[in-house]
Amino acid sequence: MRISLSDVRQDLVLAHEQAWSALSEPGTWWSGAQRRELAQTALLAVTEVEPLPPWVAVSTVEGKISASTVASSSAHDVVYRIARHASTLTKEWYERVTQEIDPLAFVELCGIVCTVATVVAFRRALDLELPELSAAKTGEPSHHKPDNIVDATLNWVPVVAPADENAAVVQAFTAVPQTNRVIWAMADAQYIPDKEMVDPHWTRGTLTRVQMELVATRVSQQRECFY
Amino acid sequence: MLSWSGTEQGIEIDLTTVQAATGGIGVSFAKQLVDFATAATEFDLTALAKSRDQLISVAGVATTIDTAAVIANFEMMTRLADSTGARMQTEVVADRLVVAQAMGVDKVVSRR
Repeated sequence: MRISLSDVRQDLVLAHEQAWSALSEPGTWWSGAQRRELAQTALLAVTEVEPLPPWVAVSTVEGKISASTVASSSAHDVVYRIARHASTLTKEWYERVTQEIDPLAFVELCGIVCTVATVVAFRRALDLELPELSAAKTGEPSHHKPDNIVDATLNWVPVVAPADENAAVVQAFTAVPQTNRVIWAMADAQYIPDKEMVDPHWTRGTLTRVQMELVATRVSQQRECFY
Repeated sequence: MLSWSGTEQGIEIDLTTVQAATGGIGVSFAKQLVDFATAATEFDLTALAKSRDQLISVAGVATTIDTAAVIANFEMMTRLADSTGARMQTEVVADRLVVAQAMGVDKVVSRR
């Protein structure tokens, strides 16, 4: 039996559409053209049957990405590595890449990867065609930086104060509010709305909470994610 | 979260069956859910189609769509956690070590 996009809940369709469109729009630290190009690299990474190994930078392999990119080659390398080999990342790697890429710009890169990975995973699981990336929109990145950014103990990346009062995944993207909003809008539609998280009996009428957690656990284990 | 939600609903969860992908736990459609999640995170499109059809046949289209949504969410959250160096408080890690061992993730690189 084939599933079509019209079978999918509208809130979920909308959350994905908004996140996917934003990939081609100016962000906080990257332009629309850069974001779109980096999303294409993330797309390559998550769909390649034979990926590059983690220690090979995608920008060094001829034909993988354009020879004249608008984003730096290091940004493309970071995106590919996160998209395909996230479980291999170390703090030393983060410290090395953030010597070239500002930590807040790095957070936005993570958000681009997360958006691509989640939409691709959903479409692929249901055998739905992937949407095209829109043409890049012109305009400058906002460079919006919250006033109260601090280092965290529970994350490598800086976060909005107060640090470490929420779970590490919840505070991870707070220093780039635009990215944070997009990601959590998808999480609300895909998994559990934030305010329902503490209720073990919450359901949309399809999966029970324990069924959701079973699936979540299996995916996390497949991705070797300790968190 | 799996152990917690299971306990809250009076369901005993054997995490080793999740690791082994046998799905033999006391959750409805457990095997079909685990098979679908496994296939969706690998590159065998035949296995993916088969597991999707099996889940649809026992649980219906809406449940299968919501399962795909949860899979997609954790393809996102695992990358979010690993790319931002997310870690749990030391005491939480200690509390969950038994679970991590049962799942076979106690020695992965992403433990930090």
